[in-house]
Amino acid sequence: MTGPMIEVQGVSKWFGDLVAVSDVSFEVGPGVTALLGPNGAGKSTVLRMLCGLTAPARGTVRILGGDPRRDLALTRQIGLVPQQEVTFETLTAFEFVRLAAVLHGLDRPDEAATAALGVVELDPADRRPTSTYSKGMRQRVKVAQAIVHQPQVIVLDEPLTGLDPRQRLHMITLFQRLGDDGRCVVVSSHVLDEVERFGSRVLVMVQGRLAAEGDFHAIRELMDDRPHRVRVRSDRPRALATALLDSEAAVAVRLEGTDTVIVDTDQVSRFRRSVAAAAQRSDAHLWEVTPLDDDLESVFRYLVGR
Amino acid sequence: MSPVRTPGAVMSLYRLMLSTQVTRARVIGLSALGMVSVLVGFAIGHAGLADPLRQGTRFINGFGLSLLVPVATLVFASASLGDPNEDGTLVYLWLRPVSRAKIVGAAALASFSVTWPIVTIPLVIAAALTGGGRTLVIGTVAGVTISMVAYVGLFVALGLRVKRALVWGLLYIFVWEGFVATGNNTASRLAVRTYGRSVLSHITGEMFRVTDISSPWRWLVPVAVALAGLAYATRRLTRQDVA
Repeated sequence: MTGPMIEVQGVSKWFGDLVAVSDVSFEVGPGVTALLGPNGAGKSTVLRMLCGLTAPARGTVRILGGDPRRDLALTRQIGLVPQQEVTFETLTAFEFVRLAAVLHGLDRPDEAATAALGVVELDPADRRPTSTYSKGMRQRVKVAQAIVHQPQVIVLDEPLTGLDPRQRLHMITLFQRLGDDGRCVVVSSHVLDEVERFGSRVLVMVQGRLAAEGDFHAIRELMDDRPHRVRVRSDRPRALATALLDSEAAVAVRLEGTDTVIVDTDQVSRFRRSVAAAAQRSDAHLWEVTPLDDDLESVFRYLVGR
Repeated sequence: MSPVRTPGAVMSLYRLMLSTQVTRARVIGLSALGMVSVLVGFAIGHAGLADPLRQGTRFINGFGLSLLVPVATLVFASASLGDPNEDGTLVYLWLRPVSRAKIVGAAALASFSVTWPIVTIPLVIAAALTGGGRTLVIGTVAGVTISMVAYVGLFVALGLRVKRALVWGLLYIFVWEGFVATGNNTASRLAVRTYGRSVLSHITGEMFRVTDISSPWRWLVPVAVALAGLAYATRRLTRQDVA
């Protein structure tokens, strides 16, 4: 397929008086695309519309050129990891994934289920029902059922929730591999660092709107160039504050108590590079460097307001 | 590309629906209710009544067709698609290339095949114990089966349509069928119970005071109700939002 695999044009969705998604347009091709935004930004609603689980109130969603809401056969090309944790609790992981394979009409459902569970490092011979699984194991079962039929479009709603660091890394590698294979992988997350590790194209949603889109590094730079406030604790705060002002990494400094400097900077990358050198020049020990407004909410507010 | 046509899909759905509907609490609770009918049937049979067929028919109608059949069917059928709809697992069926009619059909078939033995076996034993003879046993099987066919269609749709389907279903059973429909001929024709009772009455020859439904309507209407319920459920499943 030469064109975009996902086309979203002027899509809005509301539930009663609540506007969940407002006039969102984007296109997505092969590779990993991260849908980033705080909780309640409308990410899950967008993902549900991509899979046809709910219809847009306005606008159009096309997947591989078809309407996912109306074209039943298109579901063969879509794999979804939904946000909800629950699975069919009486089934084992193998039975659950095999069921997906059978319903997709695969010729060899047993082999397909075994292979998909192997990809997420789960044992197909495990006879325990999934109700006994940890949250992380359930996430992996959900990923297995989403990829068992080798769909072209894979939609994952917060798939790394509940995974330990090793499994997160494994999953991120898997998503990248699926993207490298030419599949369209859309992953939602509200964790900035998580998205950074995808190293991918990013769609940023805030309050139901598309606030930014593009390469992650460009968006990261955009985020870094906004005004930041950082708390620095040191044994020689006054000397350190002077050194930071001299380095031009800080636009303003304020001393607090006996050991704290509050630094305002509009070049956070430069500040990161300068703070250690400034401490060395002023013969000060750094005890703490803490961003005071680096939470996602403030980052997203900045993106919306810029 | 077309929907999956293999029989394996329907069988897998059917097995899944069975495994999710059959919980220990449901089976024990409804089996206990079935045991009550057996005990009462035994009591009737040993009471030395002059007309056991008449007494037995009244008991099967009053307890079996009015309480055990609708309540047991409600419990299983409303849960068949209602539970996955509410807990979010419906997405794992919806996002597959399987026709919605097959999903609904598998749910209905599973509901029927789990409810039928739980209800029919104790009622048949009860009917036999009353001393009503072979006629009452046949009437019981026929009345229970035809009622259950209609209830399955109705309650599968109800489970998909409303939250707290159990409450709405009980309101229908006790308020509409148990109260409104007993005092009005027109209303009674809009109650599934009337048709099951009519079948029972026709086979045993025992007449009830309320509306009698002529053949073939006593057989056709419940089937039509079931088909209408399943058609509505299919349409609903196709068009509704899935969590």
